Amino acid sequence: MATAGAKGGKMTMTTATAEMERMSIEQLKAVKEQTDLEVNLLQDSLNNIRTATSRLDLASTALHDLSLRPQGKKMLVPLTASLYVPGTLDESNNVLVDVGTGYFIEKTMLEGKDYCERKINLLKSNYDQLFEVASKKKSIADEAGRILQAKVKQLAPAT
Amino acid sequence: MASSALREQQRDLENKANDLSKLQKDIAKNHQVRKKYTIQLGENELVLKELDLLKEDANVYKLIGPVLVKQDLAEANANVRKRIEYISAELKRLDAALQDLEKKQTSKKEAIFESQQRIQSLQAGKGKA
Repeated sequence: MATAGAKGGKMTMTTATAEMERMSIEQLKAVKEQTDLEVNLLQDSLNNIRTATSRLDLASTALHDLSLRPQGKKMLVPLTASLYVPGTLDESNNVLVDVGTGYFIEKTMLEGKDYCERKINLLKSNYDQLFEVASKKKSIADEAGRILQAKVKQLAPAT
Repeated sequence: MASSALREQQRDLENKANDLSKLQKDIAKNHQVRKKYTIQLGENELVLKELDLLKEDANVYKLIGPVLVKQDLAEANANVRKRIEYISAELKRLDAALQDLEKKQTSKKEAIFESQQRIQSLQAGKGKA
C-alpha cells in the first residue's frame, strides 16, 4: 500500500509526478492539502523576511541621516510614544547597536552602517533560499491538484 | 459471557485511544519547545559572530531588565557561549525524548489496531451465535 507520506521532499519532479499518478484520490487529496499548508507557511515566512528587511533599510537610512547632523543640533527626544522632550545632539560618531538576546555593542557610525548592510545582505540571501524552496513546494502542490482533477474527471463519466 | 468480553475490549480500546491522544499532545508540545529553542540558538549564534568581530577594547552592554550594564567582552563571549552550549544540550535532550515518544506512539497505534480486530472478531462471533 503506498503511504501518504510520499511527499515530494527529496524526489525530483518526475518521480514525484509518477508517485502521485499511482495514488488513490483520497491519498492525493491528503498530499495536496499537506503541501498547500506548507506553501502557506513558507509564504508567511517570506513575508516576515520582507518586513524585517524593510525595517533594517529604515534603520540604515536613519543612521545615514544621523551622521549628516551636526553636533549640538537641537532635537526632540521620544520618551514614550506620545511624549517628546527637547534636547541637543551629542556627537553622532558612536552608536549602540542591538545585536540580539539583550546585548548592545558600541560601534562607530561606519561600523554601524556596515552592520546594517551585513544584516540586510544576510536577510536577502535567506529570502532567496526560501523563495526557491517555496517555489518548488508550490509546483508540487499544483501538480497534485492537476492530477487530482484529472483523476476525478476520469471517475465521473464512469458513474 | 461473550458480551462482557466485548465490553472489556471496548473499554481497553478507549483507554488506549486516550493514551494515544495524550502521546500526540506531548509530541506537539515537544515540537513547540524545540522551535523556541532553535530560534534562541540561532539568535545567540548571531550575537557570538558579532562579538567575535569586535576589537579587544570595544564596549559591550547587556540589557538586564530596564538597566543597560557595561560588560567585559570576554565575559560576554563566555556568557553567550555557555548559553549556546546549554541550548544545544536541551535540543539534544528533546530529540531523544521525541524519538522515544514517537516509538511509543507507533506501538500504541499497533495495539489499538489489534484491539479493534479483536473487537471485530468478537462481534462477528456474537452475530453467528
